[in-house]
Amino acid sequence: MDAQSILTLIKIFVPVVILLAALNVYLFFRLKDIDLFEKWDANKINGTLFLVFCVVGIALSFWGMAMYDDLYILIHNPASKQGEVIDQMFWITAVITLIVYVVTNFLLMYFAFRYAGSAGKKAYYYPENNKLEVWWTIIPAIVLTLLVLRGIFAWTEITEPAPDNAVQVEVTGKQFEWTIRYPGLDKKFGMVTWDSINEAKGNSHGYHFVSDKNTQDDFNPQEIHIPVNTPVKINIRAKDVLHCASMPHFRMKMDAVPGMNTAFWFTPTMTTAEMRKVRNKPDFNYELACQEICGGGHWNMRRVIVVDTKEDYEKWVKAQKTTYAAWLEGNTPAPATPADSTKKTEPAKVASAN
Amino acid sequence: MSANTHTHHDVHDNGHAHSEFVPHDHHHHHEENFITKYIFSQDHKMIAKQFLVTGIFMSVVGLTLSLLFRLQLAFPDTPIPFMESLLGKWAPGGKLDPNFYLALVTMHGTIMVFFVLTAGLSGTFSNFLIPLQIGARDMASGFMNMLSYWFFFASSTIMMISLFIETGPASGGWVIYPPLSALPQAMPGSGLGMTLWLIAMALFIASSLLGGINYVTTVLNLRTKGMSMDRMPLTVWAFFITAVIGILSFPVLFAAALLLIFDRSFGTSFYLSDIYIGGELLHYKGGSPILFQHLFWFLGHPEVYIVLLPALGITSEVISTNSRKPIFGYKAMILSMVGIMVLSFIVWAHHMFVTGMNPFLGTIFMFFTLLIAIPSAVKAFNYIATLWNGNLRFTPAMLFSIGLVSLFISGGVTGIFLGNAAVDIPLHDTYFVTAHFHLVMGAASAFGLFAGVYHWFPKMFGKMMNPRLGYIHFWFTFIGAYAVFFPMHFMGFAGMPRRYYAQTAFDFIQGFENLNIFITVAAIITVFAQVIFLINFFASMFFGEETTANPWESNSLEWSTPIHPGHGNWEGDIPEVYRWPYDYSRPGVVADFLPQYTHPDDVVYEKDFDPNTDVHTLSYEEQMKVNK
Repeated sequence: MDAQSILTLIKIFVPVVILLAALNVYLFFRLKDIDLFEKWDANKINGTLFLVFCVVGIALSFWGMAMYDDLYILIHNPASKQGEVIDQMFWITAVITLIVYVVTNFLLMYFAFRYAGSAGKKAYYYPENNKLEVWWTIIPAIVLTLLVLRGIFAWTEITEPAPDNAVQVEVTGKQFEWTIRYPGLDKKFGMVTWDSINEAKGNSHGYHFVSDKNTQDDFNPQEIHIPVNTPVKINIRAKDVLHCASMPHFRMKMDAVPGMNTAFWFTPTMTTAEMRKVRNKPDFNYELACQEICGGGHWNMRRVIVVDTKEDYEKWVKAQKTTYAAWLEGNTPAPATPADSTKKTEPAKVASAN
Repeated sequence: MSANTHTHHDVHDNGHAHSEFVPHDHHHHHEENFITKYIFSQDHKMIAKQFLVTGIFMSVVGLTLSLLFRLQLAFPDTPIPFMESLLGKWAPGGKLDPNFYLALVTMHGTIMVFFVLTAGLSGTFSNFLIPLQIGARDMASGFMNMLSYWFFFASSTIMMISLFIETGPASGGWVIYPPLSALPQAMPGSGLGMTLWLIAMALFIASSLLGGINYVTTVLNLRTKGMSMDRMPLTVWAFFITAVIGILSFPVLFAAALLLIFDRSFGTSFYLSDIYIGGELLHYKGGSPILFQHLFWFLGHPEVYIVLLPALGITSEVISTNSRKPIFGYKAMILSMVGIMVLSFIVWAHHMFVTGMNPFLGTIFMFFTLLIAIPSAVKAFNYIATLWNGNLRFTPAMLFSIGLVSLFISGGVTGIFLGNAAVDIPLHDTYFVTAHFHLVMGAASAFGLFAGVYHWFPKMFGKMMNPRLGYIHFWFTFIGAYAVFFPMHFMGFAGMPRRYYAQTAFDFIQGFENLNIFITVAAIITVFAQVIFLINFFASMFFGEETTANPWESNSLEWSTPIHPGHGNWEGDIPEVYRWPYDYSRPGVVADFLPQYTHPDDVVYEKDFDPNTDVHTLSYEEQMKVNK
């Protein structure tokens, strides 16, 4: 169905509901003596409806779940080692909760059907049973303890500090875009502070180009590239408001907090090419999204993540142009030309301001 | 009971026997005029009705806002002309403005959580039922109670005004995380809209505290003779515990809001640090947005139980009454509520696993969070056990109560995923969360509200609501609630992020276009089905069938009042209480209910039945034999 026909349907539906409701009110409040449904047993009808609802509802809920199965990137095909741990935890929880969901809902609604009342009957006076209470306290307690223990192990494993050999990447959230930064060949991020930002002079990231040599091989690509089977640490910063770096395929997520550095790390296990094959989608891409409300463009902060083989990754890094180089082009102090003297002093100013 | 036959003179003398009855004297010496009766009333019953009607109005607004953003989600690329005529500049050409989309989401959340489910549920039923069910003439302080409503009214008014201002209402999500909510540069809603939001919430907190202190005081001090704490209906227990939670947690939200006001208006840096926005470096240094989150969720999580516990209390009462069976495990029910109360204060940071909080804290909060599932499970099992071998009467209130238990289970189990820090990493801030809390907190509590209205409408207005409209309303709403919120789990499994204006920018969330349309259509049908309730509610007030004194054959005290109780509730003495409130189908007793206020000498037993028999030890067969 397209949007217009749905809207038309809605337009028809609204007056029909209002009309029906009005008619009902008229019937119920004014014409009690010609009640067509007087003989209906409300207890039986509602009890039966509960049972029907329960059976059909549970069936529909599983059918619906299955229908979209190939879209569930969050619970199938984890693309990182950490993701495998999380997915395992997810599926254990899923099995337990689905059993509880089905059994308790069924008992509830089956009892509604089975014990639908009638006049003259008396219920079973059964106010308590301490043994039963103890059992259904202890069993959930044991199950939950097991889940907690497993959960704590998984969580500790995932949140432990990144290994020293991890590939370092930095993403900075701002309204409404992620800035990506690599430390370059020296593997050290240069200093960046917001007070050094000078858009007019091509320093939109706040690099201390002059005072900090480590900045000079940093580069800011448009895509994140990471090598497969190598620990990757994503360092996260925010420029203006909260953002949240979310990489659903790797099961990773962490807020970007102004005034604070956050991070997560993971070990990707499948290259983009491999995942394309596994998922049978030739245009598949890993993606970085923002998942903490950050303003009007929140929904549109996309970056593509490419998982390369190690060789391809090294090649890619070498091919990147440093931000310093780009900045120099715009701010080259061409010696001896007096017209450029202002430009020449500019870097010094930036440096002294730091 | 002979109280009803007392003359006015008797009333006056005996009224002092159970003391605490000032309003009643007042009632007899001064004629009430329209203003003291309907507007600045100090009668808890009228204040309850004021809360209810205001809550209903707010829910209409809150639900309408949700339909507007649901239309956007279903048809992100289709202009919808009537949106422009309705919203003007916020929907140019029938396309919703992204900032206004967030405003709609924010205001929907705020209104539903605070103004409908907190005030509408707790405000209505704590006010209405506490004095009636514990045998008190009124609240401990009728004046504070009146102030509580009028603070709430002022708060609602300001919140409504904020919908109509030039820069739009608050838009940073109902959690109003700074810096987004602190900086007008970040989004238009963070200007005047946010200021009004904060003022409204400050008033709301004042209202909630005035009410809560009153509820606690009344429950502790004004119980009638014989009404020991272990004879209180579970509704009163729930309201009592809810009030304690509110008193302990709302002030923290006030503190959080106050510091945010300082940051916004006086240049302090409690929550802000190191911000470069709009081409400008701001002066804030050293603050922490995470501090705000801690303070916010210190209320925010208990708030879930502030919303849910009254609904569960109402459900306990309604299910027991209409199963014609004692609530199963009365003491376990109380203990689990106390357990939930205590735990609710030490789980808040499970909302913050991925905010940059120290991961070690995560393990502790994960532990307590999963613990809270235990008392919740106990409650669910007890409800199911109460139905077992009952003689169920499906009044609309009963239907909504069973619906509540179902939603509570279905929405509750997904909390076990989200409370587990490791699993929460991918699921955090996806539609899975939206599905979870809408089922367990939103829909379940709303069902509690409906159950309460259907059940106590006769006591409120002396008229019956139409049961058949109630059935239709229930089935639309029950099926609708599942149809709207259950499929959101599926989108959650795909990682669909919350609060996205359009789900078009990413590859991984494609493929849900039809599901979004389905949810929107289901939401529209469900919301419009509430018209059936509104018609039933208001029409029954005027044209409804006259009620009898105890239409549900219930045990609790409120049904011993006259059909139209005046200010002071009972015309003669306050009745004494002789037993717990759940003696339904007691073996050997002729009727299948035994009110708390029936004197032991007045109980009518079956012939040849020895009243001293220990009925607790009788098996099912023995009981049926005794009952004949």
